Amino acid sequence: MSAAGGPGAGSIAGAGAGVLGLTGASDQIDFARLRAERRRRLFDAMAAGGVDVLVLGRPANVAYASGAQQLWTAGTRPFGPACLVVRSTGRVHLLSTWDAGVPPEIGHDELFGLSWNPAILASNLGAIAGLGDAAQVGTDGFSPGARQLLAALCPHAAVVDAAPVLSRARTPKTPDELACIVSAAGIAEAALSALVAALDPGVSERQLLGVYAEAIAGLGAPTPPTEAVVCATPRQGPVRLRRLATDRCLAPGELVVLNPGAFYAGYEGTLARTWVVGAMVPSPAQRRLAQRSRETLQAVLDACRAGTTGAELCRVWDSTGEAPPPEPFVRGVGLGAELPLIGHRVGQSAQLAAGTVLAVTAWVAVDGVGGVLEQDLVLVTDGEPARLTRYGRGPLA
Amino acid sequence: MGEVGSLIAGAPIPAAPDLVRMRRDRGEKLQHQLGAAGLDGLVLMGTSAVAYATGAVAPAVDSSHAVLDRTVAIVVSGAPAAHLFTAHPEGAPSELPTEFVHGPLYPELDEGVTTIKRALDELFEPGARLGCDELTHAMLRGLPDREFTSAAAVLGAAKLCKTPDELACIRAAQRINELAMWDVQAMLRPGLRQTDLTARFLRRVFELGATTNAIDPIWQVMPTMRAGGPWTTHGDIAFPLATGDRLLREGDVIWVDSGITYQGYASDFGRTWIVGADPAPSARQQAQFDRWAAVVEAVLERCQPGTTALELGQTAIAANEGVKPWIEHFYLAHGVGTDSAEMPLIGTDLGASFDERLILQPGMVFVLEPVIWDDGAAGYRAEDIVAITDDGWVPLSAHPYDPFVGAW
Repeated sequence: MSAAGGPGAGSIAGAGAGVLGLTGASDQIDFARLRAERRRRLFDAMAAGGVDVLVLGRPANVAYASGAQQLWTAGTRPFGPACLVVRSTGRVHLLSTWDAGVPPEIGHDELFGLSWNPAILASNLGAIAGLGDAAQVGTDGFSPGARQLLAALCPHAAVVDAAPVLSRARTPKTPDELACIVSAAGIAEAALSALVAALDPGVSERQLLGVYAEAIAGLGAPTPPTEAVVCATPRQGPVRLRRLATDRCLAPGELVVLNPGAFYAGYEGTLARTWVVGAMVPSPAQRRLAQRSRETLQAVLDACRAGTTGAELCRVWDSTGEAPPPEPFVRGVGLGAELPLIGHRVGQSAQLAAGTVLAVTAWVAVDGVGGVLEQDLVLVTDGEPARLTRYGRGPLA
Repeated sequence: MGEVGSLIAGAPIPAAPDLVRMRRDRGEKLQHQLGAAGLDGLVLMGTSAVAYATGAVAPAVDSSHAVLDRTVAIVVSGAPAAHLFTAHPEGAPSELPTEFVHGPLYPELDEGVTTIKRALDELFEPGARLGCDELTHAMLRGLPDREFTSAAAVLGAAKLCKTPDELACIRAAQRINELAMWDVQAMLRPGLRQTDLTARFLRRVFELGATTNAIDPIWQVMPTMRAGGPWTTHGDIAFPLATGDRLLREGDVIWVDSGITYQGYASDFGRTWIVGADPAPSARQQAQFDRWAAVVEAVLERCQPGTTALELGQTAIAANEGVKPWIEHFYLAHGVGTDSAEMPLIGTDLGASFDERLILQPGMVFVLEPVIWDDGAAGYRAEDIVAITDDGWVPLSAHPYDPFVGAW
C-alpha cells in the first residue's frame, strides 16, 4: 500500500495540476490527448465487440465518447439518443443545439439539436451516415419507445447491450484520467476540511450539506456526485447509516460521518472520515470503533488487486469479524460511479482489473456508541494497490 | 392583470401541504389511470417517476450513481400502496406499510434482475399487462417472458393536473429558491465567478430546507447580439449553457435559471440580472422587460379552464408584434412537478395540432418563460409560475424583477 505521490502512484501525470486553470501552466492535464485516447479506446472496443454503432443516452457515456460539457441534473434521465458513435465513418454525433462546450474534433455537421417531437428526432438521426445499414447497435439503456425508434432508424440491426464495449474502453484508466480523479479527490478533501471546520454542536445535517455544496462550488466544481454527505450517529440507542440529510442537530461528542465527493472534468473523487462533534475527547468506546473501522478498511484496501473477485473481497471483510455493511463496500469510480459494485448481496463474480479505481468503504457501528464510516480511493495495479486519497483522522487518530 | 381565482376543484391551496393526503391522492390517481389504460401494474425506475409513485425521498445523486443505485417502484393494480425498493428506507413515507418497503434492486446487473423476477412473479400473474418507464439490458435478458408497454400515458395523465397539496409543495420549493436568490443577487459584483454564485445559492437553499438541488444553477452571460453567441443548429440563441468559473464583469447581462426540490417537487426560478453594484438597465433593456411583462400579462388574461395551449401561444405572439417570444428549441411555457419540465408544454416543435388539443384545466401548472430579444440589448428572460384554477389562475412564484422596474 502506498499513498498517492509515493512509488505506487508515481506515474500519475499531472496529479499536481491546478484546478482553476487560470495559469495555463504546463503541468496541467492535456485534455486533447485525454479525449483522443478515449475515442481511440472506444472505437477499438467497438471493433473488438463487433458493434457498428453505439447509441448512448447516459451522461457519463456521452461525456466519455464526446468530451462535451453537459448541463448537470440530478437523478436518472429517460433513455434517449444523446450521442451516436459510428464505426464505419469514425464519427461521433452529439445531441447539442450549440457548439459551446463541444470539443473541436466534433464538427457542426455532427451536432443535432434538441427536439420534443419524436418524428423530428427520428428525421435528424436518420440523416446520420452508417446508422441505417448497421448490423449491431449497442445501447446503454432501453425503453418501450426506444424499440420503435431503433427499428425505424436501423431496421436490420440487432440491438445489443453496449455495456461490454463501454466497460472495455472505460474501466482501465489512462494516466490523464487518473490525474483528473486525483484532482477531484483534492477537491473532495478540501470539502472535508470545510465540513470539519463547521462541526459545531447545534449545526444540523442539512446545514452541513450546505457547507459542503458551498465548498465544492467555491472551488469551481459545483456539481456533487451525491448529496449523501453527512450522517450523525447517536450516542444512545440504535445506530443506522442514513444517507438523507435531516434537520437533526449535532450534539457534542457525537460521531458524524463526513463523506464528500467532487467532480473534476467529469471524473469523481470521494472519501469519508468520521469526526467527533465539538472539542471533545473521544470516548474509549469510540476509539475502539474507529480502530475497527480502520482495520477493516485497510484489510479490504490491501486486497484490491488485479484478479481478486467480489466473493473474495466479501471473505476479506468477513475475516475482520465485522457484520456485513448495509451498502456495497467496493465500487468503481471514474466518470462518476462505475462498475464493479461489490457487496454481500451484489457483485460476487466481479473480478478486479488493473487500472481500475475503486472507492472502498468501511462502516462499523455499535448501538449506544455511534458509527464510523471511512472511505478511500484506491488504484488497482498488477502489484501493490495505490491509495489516491489522503486525509487524517483528527480526534479519532 | 387577469382574474385571479384561488380554488382548485373547489379546494384552496393550503399554506402547508398535507403530505399524507397528497400521497394518497396521487396513489388514487395512478390507480385510476392504470384502470383506464387496462394495465395490471407498473415497474418504474426513473428518479422522478419513483418519487411520484411512492412519495419516497432520496438524496440527489449524479446520474451515474442514480442508475447503479436506483430506487424502484412497482405499482400493482388494486393495491393500497406502491412497493418501494430502496437503499434509503429513511426516505420512505411514514404511512407506507413496512411490507411495501424493500431493500434495493440492482436492475443494471443480471443478479439484480433475478430479484426483480422474483418480485414480479410474486406480485403478478404470468402474462400480466405491465407498463414501465425504462428498461435495462439485464432486464431484457432476465425477463424474457415479461412484456412491457410504455408507462408514459399512465404517468402523464396522473401528473397533468396537480392537487392543492402538490401546488403547495411547488410553492414551498419556489419560496426556498427565491429566498436564496435574494442573497445571491445581493452579492452580484464584478470579479465574482459564476461558481461563486452557485456556492452562495446552494448553501442557502439547504439552510432554508431544500430536500435536494435538482440542477446545476445557470448564470449564463449573454452576448449583446445573437451573432456574438455560440453557433447553434437553428440560428437562435444558445441557452442554457453550463456554468463554469468565468469571471463576471461590470454590466454583464446574466440569465439566471435554477431548480431545487422540496418533498419531490421542483422549483423553477428564472430572472435576468445585470452585474454591478448599482446596475441600471439601458432604455433598450428596460423596453425588453416591458415587452416581456406585456406578453405575460396578455397570456395570463387568457389563463382559465377551456383555453387551448395554441390560443396562449398565439396570444403571446400577438403581444410581441407577431414575433414568437420564446427560444426556438424551447417553449412559451412548461409544466413543473416531480420533473422540472413536464407536460403541459406550449409552443414546442410538437406543433400547433398538439397545442390545440391541450386544453387548460384546473390544477395545471405553467412556468411561463417568454424571451424577448432585441438584437444588441442582450435579451430579457424570466420565469413565473402559475396554476390554473377553477376560474382563472393563481401565482406560485413571487419574486421581484430587479434591476428592472416592474410595469405592475
